[in-house]
Amino acid sequence: MNRKKMIMGIILFGSLWGFSEVIIGSIVADAGLPSGGLMTGFFALPILVLTRMIYKQPGMALGLGLVAGSLRLFNPFVGCHICSAIAIMAEGALFEMIFYGISTDFKELKSITMKSSIGIFSAYIIFVGGYIVTQVLTPIVAGSGFYLENLIVFMPKILAAGILPALIASFTIPIIISVKKFDISIKDKIYYPTSAGISLLCWIIVILSWILFTA
Amino acid sequence: MRPPMTLGKEKLIPILAMVVLLIGTFSAIFVNATLVDKNTITINGNEYSIEQIFSITESKEIETDEGKKSGISLEDLMIQSGISCLTCYKYTFKAKDGYQQTVDFDTLKSGILTKYNRVYFPNTAHALWVRDVIEIEVK
Repeated sequence: MNRKKMIMGIILFGSLWGFSEVIIGSIVADAGLPSGGLMTGFFALPILVLTRMIYKQPGMALGLGLVAGSLRLFNPFVGCHICSAIAIMAEGALFEMIFYGISTDFKELKSITMKSSIGIFSAYIIFVGGYIVTQVLTPIVAGSGFYLENLIVFMPKILAAGILPALIASFTIPIIISVKKFDISIKDKIYYPTSAGISLLCWIIVILSWILFTA
Repeated sequence: MRPPMTLGKEKLIPILAMVVLLIGTFSAIFVNATLVDKNTITINGNEYSIEQIFSITESKEIETDEGKKSGISLEDLMIQSGISCLTCYKYTFKAKDGYQQTVDFDTLKSGILTKYNRVYFPNTAHALWVRDVIEIEVK
């Protein structure tokens, strides 16, 4: 895999992930729906799995988390921007840990049970892990300090909230893994400008919404 | 001789999926079973209805990044509830669903409690804006 192509992939899919978290996630939250679980099950994890299938490069999720987390810093809708950004980066790192022993083409995930199971397990761990990171970081960044007892009493709620993304990923991940032919066969002449254009568009929309809502 | 027991990915991944689903399900049952349903707020060990609270202190309006919010000053509320040294303690706001956040006096003094049992602190993370407050613990 060409290194330049991989970096462009990180920027493209990281921007799409960040865009979905900031723009779509905010709309979903405003509608009173559990945005965190829905976003992990329908967007974050499928994007991470898709990127791994296309580029076949372990470690890319870390880069995606960095790009998506950076985009989240421009989110005007949440109080603790840095916490959400770090939580997204943590989700990328957790994905890498879970998929460390699994081949990049997912050849060992043959049966529907295996595909569904990896979706359930990874979505649950990524969501719960990200949630815990936010709960720890937010009070620290907010200046009120972190109190372990506050996290402990809230742990059952966090663990229960992981069910929704796990159930969503039980069908979204098998669908993505089942679509085996993900080859970047498009020419470089089209790949680079298209990827850069889509990434730029994601950033412009997020920054514009930030300017509009904070002005 | 029996072969050594190995747990391949084919078995391990579905088992892990089952484990997290069980953890999530039991946690959801626990959360629902322990959900506190009450209409009063416990402040420093004493029970108050929201009407009582609003009758002993005056309302004020604050500006947040979600617009103007009106409610009673948390600083006034603590004074009225008999706390003599406000700076000596930390204040933990506990919600119906088990969520809780602790703040010091510097944060508390800027905050309000609304008629809908929600606290707001301007210029702080929304994570501190606890909803459905059922207890304010002073410690």
